[in-house]
Amino acid sequence: MDQNNSIPPFQGLASPQGAMTPGMPMFSPMMPYGSGLTPQPVQNTNSLSILEEQQRQQQQQQQQHQQQPSAGLPGTSGQTPQLYHSQTAAGSTTTALPGGTGLYSTSIGPMTPLTPATPASESSGIVPTLQNIVSTVNLGCKLDLKTIALRARNAEYNPKRFAAVIMRIREPRTTALIFSSGKMVCTGAKSEEESRLAARKYARVVQKLGFPAKFLDFKIQNMVGSCDVKFPIRLEGLVLTHQQFSSYEPELFPGLIYRMIKPRIVLLIFVSGKVVLTGAKVRAEIYEAFENIYPILKGFRKTT
Amino acid sequence: CIFLFHSDRVIDVGSEWRTFSNEKALKDPSRVGDAQNPLLNGGDLTTMISRGTGAASFDEFGNSKYQNRRTMSSSDRAMLNAFKEISTMADRINLPRNIVDRTNNLFKQVYEQKSLKGRANDAIASACLYIACRQEGVPRTFKEICAVSRISKKEIGRCFKLILKALETSVDLITTGDFMSRFCSNLGLPKQVQMAATFIARKAVELDLVPGRSPISVAAAAIYMASQASAEKKTQKEIGDIAGVADVTIRQSYRLIYPRAAELFPPDFKFDTPVDKLPQL
Repeated sequence: MDQNNSIPPFQGLASPQGAMTPGMPMFSPMMPYGSGLTPQPVQNTNSLSILEEQQRQQQQQQQQHQQQPSAGLPGTSGQTPQLYHSQTAAGSTTTALPGGTGLYSTSIGPMTPLTPATPASESSGIVPTLQNIVSTVNLGCKLDLKTIALRARNAEYNPKRFAAVIMRIREPRTTALIFSSGKMVCTGAKSEEESRLAARKYARVVQKLGFPAKFLDFKIQNMVGSCDVKFPIRLEGLVLTHQQFSSYEPELFPGLIYRMIKPRIVLLIFVSGKVVLTGAKVRAEIYEAFENIYPILKGFRKTT
Repeated sequence: CIFLFHSDRVIDVGSEWRTFSNEKALKDPSRVGDAQNPLLNGGDLTTMISRGTGAASFDEFGNSKYQNRRTMSSSDRAMLNAFKEISTMADRINLPRNIVDRTNNLFKQVYEQKSLKGRANDAIASACLYIACRQEGVPRTFKEICAVSRISKKEIGRCFKLILKALETSVDLITTGDFMSRFCSNLGLPKQVQMAATFIARKAVELDLVPGRSPISVAAAAIYMASQASAEKKTQKEIGDIAGVADVTIRQSYRLIYPRAAELFPPDFKFDTPVDKLPQL
């Protein structure tokens, strides 16, 4: 939310103040993320992680310095998730850190990352599977829902309940809402291609019924993915350290609702280790969000 | 000896006249009215004309002169209404004044921010009450707030999340211990049983016997176990009624803690029914 003295508009650069987005390849050269961001002091719930991340930081430093000549990027390579450890190859416009504390910081002060750093080589090895894709398309002509409902198979139309025809096809197994304006929403597909194919099939059905249907502005609006990290998670710890992003109310919902800022994805994290990711427009956002959250979750693994 | 203070004048803040009240004075001769609530009302200085009582206040047709109390503080009319509603709700569950004040403050902040303007004021008031109870360290369950409010749990929950976001605050996570004293006294359980139930619930959470279960359900199951081991046995239905938990939920949580019941009891507990004779559901 509010980053005290950092450059305000760059909301984009990862979850501010410490929610780590390791492996983030995008760094704005203008963003002196060493200087402004003052991650809040966090009681590290996992004492092992402090040692781990110091070791990893040291490793990264060495790697950094080796890579400096080669890396042409002003930002660091994707190995440095810590925003304030901007050991930028461009040597520094950044680091307003007091006297080199950045490199070998042992203080558990504001500079302590919330979670261990993740060297780029170690990825989670888990790939979220897509469960649902919602897309919209414009058929480009006004439709008469009554005739569509009467003549098409597997179509239901109840104007008192909802002002659209609900049509289903078996392959790919999807459901479409077709509105009289000619716009259509297609849900239930498991991949982008399937969604597009299904939308085309619906368009053809409408076309066969006699309407001059076209296929304009196909756009995927939402993608839902899910995966399993295979270990139980301490949600109470997670909500304590990532308060600005998390909402965990056992009375309202058994899972923790984590609203990641970059990429803008909402994750539902459960005690069992299952994670649901939603709100993505492209597949890469889901993958990126999961890669961001995985090390954080590892830090809150239940030890018993 | 008289001490002279270095002030321009000394204002005597005593009462205007002496009242020898051995009986309750029906007409309080104070001319300054109620205590102002400056913090919450935006310090309005409006004029109100109350309904007259004497003969002179009625005109020839029998209608009262000076008819309406002029609209007082029209800008904050909704806020005053909400304060009244908050006070009513709090009164139903006997909440102390500090919680009511906190609720009023929260409501005022939310109202002035206008980010939740479209939401029903009652919903916002109920959510503020919930947050205030949480912040004071004596959380009430959503169901308890629902019981005194006309708003649904869903809507209160939504407003709750919106308010936390709008005010940029957060609240502590609820624990099983927060509800023990209230539930146990409502059930009429003695202190020993209450302490045992608190211990059981805490131990169960520490040993992670009930992952993912709502703390209320765990608390209810712990109360059930403690009461069944004591002389004051309560049924699941009774506990479910008080806690706002379905009895199947208590059954589920109880099944999870039952296998290790022996470890969960406090060491100095006096068993009326020994651990192996506890009901197995």
